Amino acid sequence: MTTGYNFAYLNEQTKRMIRRALLKAVAIPGYQVPFASREMPMPYGWGTGGVQVTASILTPEDTLKVIDQGADDTTNAVSIRKFFKRTAEVATTEETAKASIIQTRHRIPEAPLREDQILVFQVPIPEPLRFLEPRETETRKMHALEEYGIMHVKLYEDIARHGHIATSYAYPAKVNGRYVFDPSPIPKFDNPKLDSCAALQLFGAGREKRIYAVPPYTQVKSLDFEDHPFTIQKWDEPCALCGARGTYLDEIILDDRGKRMFVCSDTDHCRKARSGEEAA
Amino acid sequence: MTIEAMTGFADQARDSARAFRRMLDAMARPGRILSLEPDFDVPAPLLPAAAAICLTLCDYDTPLWLDASLSEPAILDFLRFQTGAPITADIAPARFLLCTPGSALQALAGAHRGDAEYPDASATLIIQVPSLSAGGRLILEGPGIDGEQDFRTLGLDAAFWDTMQDNHQLFPLGCDVFFASASGISALPRSTHIKREGHA
Repeated sequence: MTTGYNFAYLNEQTKRMIRRALLKAVAIPGYQVPFASREMPMPYGWGTGGVQVTASILTPEDTLKVIDQGADDTTNAVSIRKFFKRTAEVATTEETAKASIIQTRHRIPEAPLREDQILVFQVPIPEPLRFLEPRETETRKMHALEEYGIMHVKLYEDIARHGHIATSYAYPAKVNGRYVFDPSPIPKFDNPKLDSCAALQLFGAGREKRIYAVPPYTQVKSLDFEDHPFTIQKWDEPCALCGARGTYLDEIILDDRGKRMFVCSDTDHCRKARSGEEAA
Repeated sequence: MTIEAMTGFADQARDSARAFRRMLDAMARPGRILSLEPDFDVPAPLLPAAAAICLTLCDYDTPLWLDASLSEPAILDFLRFQTGAPITADIAPARFLLCTPGSALQALAGAHRGDAEYPDASATLIIQVPSLSAGGRLILEGPGIDGEQDFRTLGLDAAFWDTMQDNHQLFPLGCDVFFASASGISALPRSTHIKREGHA
């Protein structure tokens, strides 16, 4: 290798530390494991946590896909893909079915994931209780005591104010019946995909220095009430490009006179649907 | 005085990455057997798969405990040189405990289980077993398992499995266990519910 970097950028001691944290995260589904997050050659908020997780699990045989809001061709996704192409010389792809590791910012691909795939989430604020209780000492105690009452109060206040639960992304869910966790700012549309997923799901928060995980086939239940059950977003129209229904759509403003269109946020899924391929 | 060549992973970064992926897969899918056959020699009776786990995870941050049968000078030298981990004589402060069926119960009973606010501070056991395909059948359920998973090992007695069931009851506290055989590994994290035939 001529880049002058260690394989996958991080030094071996850092990887061992992150790997130990990852194993504990898998063993305690939904619990946020503190780790000694390193400075990465990108700013916080650009996926430093996800990148450190990916660097620690990557092998030379992997094929990496990186998406940002479902798209493979946005700045963040392109630069992270290039980063690992350069420092780990791994194969990269834009096709969900061909990837063994998928690093994602704020989406879960539409195509169902398989057992031989790992999904790595970039997480800005890992603590679901943080905006309700700013003190880490307190939120840690609340997780220890399984004291999640204030989260239900927050969702109730949504109902009291808006008539329905208005939280539409980073929707809190309970993992394996124990820890309430923040699934990162994915739309709540994606929450059902977290549940009993065949793939291992890893979450990395670089600035907040936390790693957590949802093992395969693990129950992930979005919080709700009996009389206000959890629901996902729905659209009246199909994707304007591929005609798909039942995918997550982005709104695109076309002019300054209110014209707009809705298209799939998952670019690979949309492209495959348009070319008539089976979106595996 | 003779100095024996003690090699570890030939390509540390890539080989330890490959080994770790097997370990991560094992922990994410409890009871599944994954091959782990590193490319270096290890001093007997240390098993190559157990050595690969130590070399991938242990360093100066992780006190390592070895049972009496594994505390051979050659093994201690090998692990000290390859990992830099402090070898501890006490079970309680160890982050990793390398044991055999004869010492597994003692290690599991005495190992650090983490605390309510930091359950991740618990120890990880690496138990060398003669086989991962023979022995009494256990049925596993829990995160990482689609329905049920069979699991077999040789040499671990009922008292050990009683303690493993207690370990699961402590969730989210508890130890996580890697089993290493001659050619493969398997893992039982604390989240796994273990059912024994003829037991509740």
